[in-house]
Order: sequence, then C-alpha cells, then structure tokens
Amino acid sequence: MIRIENLTVQFGAVRPLDGLSAELTQPIIGLVGPNGAGKTTLLNVFSGFITPVTGSIELDGRDLLPLSPTRRVQAGLRRTFQTEQVADDLSAWDNVLALADHIGLKGATIGDDVERALAFTGLGPRAQVMGAALNLYERRMVEIARALVGGPRLILMDEPGAGLDEAEALRLRQCILGIPKAFGATVLLIDHDVDLISATCGETLVLDFGKRLALGPTRSVLDDPVVHRAYLGAA
Amino acid sequence: MTSPSLPGEPAHLTVERPGLGRYRTLVTIPLLLMAGAVLVSLAANAYWISTLTSAAALALAAAGVALLYGQLGLVSLCQFSLIGVGGWVTLRTGFAFGWPFELSLLSGGIAASLVGVLCGLPALRLKGLYLALVTLMLAGGFQVIINAFGFPDGGSGFFGRADASQRLMLPRPLLATGNEAYFLYAVGVLALGLMLIELHRRTKPGRSWAMIRAGETTALSAGVNLLLYKAWAFALAGFLAGLAGGVLAAGVGQLDGRAFSAAESLNLFALTVVGGAYNWFGAVIAGLLLRAVPSLLTDHGVDGYLAMVIFGAALLHALVTAPTGIAGQIAGLGQWLTGLIASESTPSPAQQEAPASDKLAAETGERRP
Repeated sequence: MIRIENLTVQFGAVRPLDGLSAELTQPIIGLVGPNGAGKTTLLNVFSGFITPVTGSIELDGRDLLPLSPTRRVQAGLRRTFQTEQVADDLSAWDNVLALADHIGLKGATIGDDVERALAFTGLGPRAQVMGAALNLYERRMVEIARALVGGPRLILMDEPGAGLDEAEALRLRQCILGIPKAFGATVLLIDHDVDLISATCGETLVLDFGKRLALGPTRSVLDDPVVHRAYLGAA
Repeated sequence: MTSPSLPGEPAHLTVERPGLGRYRTLVTIPLLLMAGAVLVSLAANAYWISTLTSAAALALAAAGVALLYGQLGLVSLCQFSLIGVGGWVTLRTGFAFGWPFELSLLSGGIAASLVGVLCGLPALRLKGLYLALVTLMLAGGFQVIINAFGFPDGGSGFFGRADASQRLMLPRPLLATGNEAYFLYAVGVLALGLMLIELHRRTKPGRSWAMIRAGETTALSAGVNLLLYKAWAFALAGFLAGLAGGVLAAGVGQLDGRAFSAAESLNLFALTVVGGAYNWFGAVIAGLLLRAVPSLLTDHGVDGYLAMVIFGAALLHALVTAPTGIAGQIAGLGQWLTGLIASESTPSPAQQEAPASDKLAAETGERRP
C-alpha cells in the first residue's frame, strides 16, 4: 500500500505538487492528468530526485523520504522513464544486470533473476543484443525487465506506451497486467493512453495543478465529469 | 529483425546467457601487443627502442584518459601530472628503500591513484568544461611544485635531492636491464594495464559506468552509487598514469621536471581522442602519436614540433568527423569487412533490414557517441 500525506513541492513561487494526499491500494494504479499536473514530479519525489518541502510517502508502512535514491532501489523501488534509458553499449542482459549488481543479490541468484525478468518481458532471444541495436519497444521492455529484478515492491512507469504502435501497446498491456501476479509488485503507471489506463489500472489518481482532482476505481474516475473537463477536454 | 516473443510463447522461455566470448579481448590484448613488441625489438635500433618504450608508457596514461572520457564522459586534464606523481614516488621509494622495481612501480601507481581520486573529487559536482578547467589548474599547480622541488635523484630528506655530482639513476628491473628487454617489459606492463581496464569494462564497474553515462538519474534509479563509481574510475586512471610514470623513470633512470607541464596533459587528452577513447588499442595509437610521430619527423630532419600542427588538425578532424578516433575507424573497417564476408556466405533477413555496418557496429558494441 502507498500512503501519500500532504506532499508539497515548491520551486520558487511554483508548486508542482500542492498538499497532495492519497492512499493507493490496488496492484496497478493509474496516475493521469493534463501536462504540468505534477505527475512526473510525483514520480521524481518517489525516486528521491526531488525533495518535497512538506509531506511523507509510505510504501507498505515504510517512510521512503529519509532514504537516499540508491537505498530506495534496495528497498524495492523501481523506475522507468518517459524517454527510455538504456545503455547503448551494454547488451539487454547487462542492462538488466546493471541494477541487479546493486541490490545485494548473490552468485547464481543474479543470473536466474535476470533471466526471469528477460523471459517475462519476451526478450529472451534478444538478451545478448546491444542496447543500440534494439528497437523502441525492446528498449522499453529492457527498462521494464530492469525494474523486475531483485524483488521489486513498487514500479513507477512514466509513459511506457509513448511511441509504440498498436500491436506493441497490446504486448505492453499484457506485460504490465502480469507484473503484480508474477513479481508481487505494485505498478504506478503514468500514461496519456486512456485505453491502457482503463485496461490495466484498478484505481486511478487524477492530478491537476499539483492537487488531487479525483481518486477511485478507474472506470468511475474516468467517467467523472470533473475529470472529463480538466483532463479529457469534454464540455 | 527478430520480434521479441510474448509472455507465454515458448520462445520467451529461452534466454541467451552471456558466454565467455565477452572476455576474449583479455587474451587478444597481451597476444597482439607482445607479438608486435617482439617483432619491433628484433627490427628497431636503439633510438626507436627508446622512443617506443616511452610510447608504451604514455599509452598506459592514455588508457586512463580514455577510461574517464570514453566510459564516463569526463574530461580530466591533469593526467600527465599524475604520470609525474607516479614517477616521483617510484624514484623516491626506489632510492630510499632499494625495493625491487616492481614494488616501487606499484607504490608509484597507488600514490598516483590516491592523488587521482583527490583530483576527481570536483567531478562529483562538476562536468564538461568546468571539470576540465579545474583539473587543468591542478596540472598547473603540479607544474609549479615539481619545478620548485624537482624529482628525487638519490639524495636524502623528504625530497631526495642530491648534488649534481651525486645524482643516481634508478635501476631497471632485474628481468629487463637491457634496452630491448626493458621495451618488452614496458609493453608487458601496458598489456596488464589494458587488460585491467577491459576486465573492469566487462564486469560490475563497467556496467555501473555505462549507467552513469546513460544519465545520472538512470544510474541512481539502478542503485548505482555515483560517488563510489566515479571515484573508482579516477583511481584506476590515476593508477595507470602512476605506472606510466614509474616505467618512464626506470627507462631513463631519472625524470626531468620540465617534461611535466600542464600543456602535456592537454596533448595527452587531445591525442587520446584522436587515437580513440572507445577501443583498447586507441590508447596504443595515442602513445605512438605522442612519441613516435615527433621522433619520426626528427628522424627525417623535420622539426618535431611540427607534430603539434598535425595533431591540431587531427583533433579537429576527430571531433568533426570521427568521434571514435582512429581506433574506432579501424574497428569499423574490420566490422564492415567481417559483415561483408558473413553476408556473402549466409545472408539473413535480419541483415537485409539495416546497413551491415550499422547492425554489426550496434550488435558488437561499438560505441557511437
């Protein structure tokens, strides 16, 4: 369970997050809102890249904010980025291993964990191909595979579907849906693809101007006229 | 291109694990270098043996510069000063304790490694031009210190300076007292240094450096300790520069403070870029450019300083058209030829999708900055 309490981020006079509170309990959670709503800022606070001026974030009862970014990774926090971050001169295997190196896995367990993550994302046959030779979908999958090693507890995904075609988005959807059961991790998913959010997320948090606009079961949140006005552009 | 399989499909269960082939350069490096060195030692005269011994030593330092630049994108302009630090400590411990040369050499490497980490501390906050300027200033500081105190030459006291009449020469290792033997010894040390870097590149530090290069937030999200792995790279680069100083010191028996100016650090960096910072043999090319090209010009009655003009043009060319340097171009040519032969014998659909050179370069790990 994720508990966000009175979270505020301030840059000068701007507040990308303004007293945000939420309790998120579903295995896959959507995070939506118009551009500038504070979605990526929230993920950056989770990751430890931005320090909030007030508030707290608890993951399964553990306060995340006092931990350094690397300690958060060891505590099971994982992240994928809006622009996929894959080292071009490492193979898909080594890209995944690069995280497994730093979370205290030992000996043969490391190889088995990497293998499981690559197999789950369907990258098995491409495991020894260099990052530079992978296509966009495969690079996205490498990032997801990297997030799956070493017992993840919360995976933050920032627009994983951006730039993918219809068939690839369908594969991505299947992959995300399988994560909680296969790895026991919660997924917090930002995406502008409402179909992806609807199909995968049990609950959805909607942000607008750094504040909580709505939170609840995805279908009812997306049908909410207030959300329609702010996010989906309906009259 | 092969499509990745969906979860649940039989193919996804098969994951290709890395084989021992990834470590083949650890065998290739000593074999190629030692074979080349033996051939040179049989054919070259004393002048060229001496020149190429210096080139081998400087190639070690260039390998450290390439490690920082190629692996982490960091520009350190005080590496030639670290050669001086390594040389100073090797001379000092050699004269003071009469240690076997290898032990003195190791002490020089470790001392330069520690100083290298200190020089690298700004890298934790600075990047690009600012880091380059700070390290260049450190190189200037070393130049002032070494001009004031000089290199040890067998005297007493902390600085080990003797009267001109009593100056001693550092003995060479017992294994290699002759010029040819010492040249082979220097190439052996170079091979070990390059193997050490290759081993790093293919294991946890190399993967961590690759993540840092991909982006510091990416590295943090992968749990990489930025402080530790940047300091590690500076320590390794300093260690190699220190070994280079020790090898130079025993080659001549003494070192001259005038040879360690800040400008030499600039030359070393520029020629490492020209030689190629992304392939192991780029450092060897840089060492040859630094010492062999000026000697070649001198040998033909041309002023060796003309080399600086040639190097300037070469750097411009490298930065504009060949960021992977001469070594990258050679590697690209080799991959293209291999691809040509492979595609003629067994054409595959995958090879038809993209130009062979692009595909091979990407799949075999050639870096494209």
